[in-house]
Amino acid sequence: MIRIDSLRYRYRAASRPALDGVSFDIGRGAVHGLLGPNGAGKTTLISLLAGLLAPQGGGIAVDGEPLAAWRASHPTAIAAVPQDHAFYPMLTVAENLDFFAGVQGLSRRQRRDRCAAAMAFACLEAVAGRRAGSLSGGLRRRLNMAIGLTGAPEVLLLDEPTVGVDPQSRRFMLDAVKRFAADGGAVLYTSHYMEEVEAVCTDVAIIDHGKVLAAGPLAEIKRGGGPMLNLTLARPLPEALAANWRIRFPDMDVMGNAVDFPRFSADGLAPLLAELAAARVAVERAEYGAPNLEQFFMQLTHHSLRD
Amino acid sequence: MPAVFILVMSLTLAEPFSTRQPAAIGYAVLDLDSTPVSQALDEQLGTSDVFEKREHPSGEADARRRVETGEAVFVLVIPQGFARQVGSNRTPALRFLLDPAVPYALREGFRQQAEAAVIRVWLAHVLERLGQNLMIPELRRVTERVGPPEIHVEAVDRADGKTFAPPSSVQQSVPAWLIFSMFFVVIPISAVFVGERQRGTLQRLATQKVSFSLVLAGKFVPFVLLNQAQAVIMIAIGRWLVPLCGGEAFTLPNGAQALAALWLLSLAVGAAAVGWALLIASFARSSEQATILGGAGNIIMGAVGGIMVPRFVMPASMQPWTRLSPMDWALEAIHHVMLRHGGIADILPAAAALACFGFLALAAAVFLGRRAHD
Repeated sequence: MIRIDSLRYRYRAASRPALDGVSFDIGRGAVHGLLGPNGAGKTTLISLLAGLLAPQGGGIAVDGEPLAAWRASHPTAIAAVPQDHAFYPMLTVAENLDFFAGVQGLSRRQRRDRCAAAMAFACLEAVAGRRAGSLSGGLRRRLNMAIGLTGAPEVLLLDEPTVGVDPQSRRFMLDAVKRFAADGGAVLYTSHYMEEVEAVCTDVAIIDHGKVLAAGPLAEIKRGGGPMLNLTLARPLPEALAANWRIRFPDMDVMGNAVDFPRFSADGLAPLLAELAAARVAVERAEYGAPNLEQFFMQLTHHSLRD
Repeated sequence: MPAVFILVMSLTLAEPFSTRQPAAIGYAVLDLDSTPVSQALDEQLGTSDVFEKREHPSGEADARRRVETGEAVFVLVIPQGFARQVGSNRTPALRFLLDPAVPYALREGFRQQAEAAVIRVWLAHVLERLGQNLMIPELRRVTERVGPPEIHVEAVDRADGKTFAPPSSVQQSVPAWLIFSMFFVVIPISAVFVGERQRGTLQRLATQKVSFSLVLAGKFVPFVLLNQAQAVIMIAIGRWLVPLCGGEAFTLPNGAQALAALWLLSLAVGAAAVGWALLIASFARSSEQATILGGAGNIIMGAVGGIMVPRFVMPASMQPWTRLSPMDWALEAIHHVMLRHGGIADILPAAAALACFGFLALAAAVFLGRRAHD
């Protein structure tokens, strides 16, 4: 449905581009996870898709048509749900929905129907008359999302939609996102909660420094990382052994007593354990197999802090 | 808040600057001479409406205590030998003690009051002596009538040239504070605007293809109407609540044309104030920044525009600068309506200038908003 092709964007006075040749596709009926450390370019990409910024290079096409032209013919078909509670706290839930539906130029009847549908989708009927500012964190998140649905969009851009909500509300939100995609919508979902992305997304794109590091179906992405060995040792790795292993396994990652070996061949496991035994380092736990999304993400983006 | 402000200003301005009520600026006379001449001076000073006489101090120490405690703002000390000095045609020397916080204008007012009283006493003495020397008993009778002259003050109506009783200080001052208060709409507007930006509401509206100019227009119209309601409430307070609290009532001009002119001017001030507020709100990044920029901007605009210090009191070099402030345009126009019995034609240039200022500020806010978006 959406084809992002070699997209480039650089902010004024920025030393490097926020997006530097980003390409991937977002299909209908799919929830596409967009992962990346802070400052990777996720918000810029969402702003470009939402029409807040104009591409400086490359392009975005929807169903084969340039984004700007498609948006002109489908003005309410892309809805962005910001990370913040982007509504009026002094208005009630129903008034907020009505206001945001109203600014989209809908007729009175369309407005009423869309507000009712959005309210039902987010299960907000019981709090329709309550002031938005007095809602709990979970209800605010649901209202934030419901406002995004008042235009009956085909594409939903969700920017960390579950920050600060309890597990029940999170589960509700994830189910709602899945329902939206199951009804034929396309979702771009950004989050720092990897288990959440694994639970809800069918596809992912991992970006860092404005470039796509990996993109595709979630299962393939994880397989692409190759098998991984994770060891938890009884004590830190002796320095001599660590220096030796760093030469042999350049991707090795040591954090305290935990040592990870990305793309590790099973044949090397027995000799490795023997070397540990010789160095009198007991192994408390050993895991071998496909990495989870977080491990793969960390492999690609490394451990260094970004803020 | 503006309603409370106008109530407080009306009540505080009513007493000290009133031309109709006794003022509360107290003074006392320490008469160290205790002669009929010094007592005559004491009486002459007592004829003033501006200064209110307090009990005589018992001595110099008591006089100083009175000033220190604020019981009297001034104490006039008539030295021993005052009558002798007057009798020998020597310039009599007086002293007056005062609180150092007393403004220069007030101090000068009292000094001139005392000077005039001394001259009257001295003149009476001269006339009496002349009458005795020239054996003209009528001159003695003249001395009994020497007192402050009676001066009638009349204001000239610019419409028909007729005269009328001059307006009170409440009529003169309240319009200035009314205009000043109306410009303080910058605080609620910027709070709303900055809140919308910080919550991402403006961004969400942008994704919904709501143009920034429409967002601003959506604030401009309701806030101008709100500003009008605020002005009506403030005038109503001055008209009905202030007299109930013991202050002087604020009176509206008579006639439909004057009221229409006042309403037109109020709309123009509202447009200028809201346009200015939206400009501040569109480049302020936080509500603190908006409050400081808007508040300080208004105070500077008020100071330059003659709200705090009337233009005619300012130094000549400063007076042309007042024309830079929209508050000056509004103040001049409202004085035409409230004090000079002017009509729509008198306020039209100022109303047009204020409306232009408001719309230019709004256009600048749209430009700034679009540039930030790009």
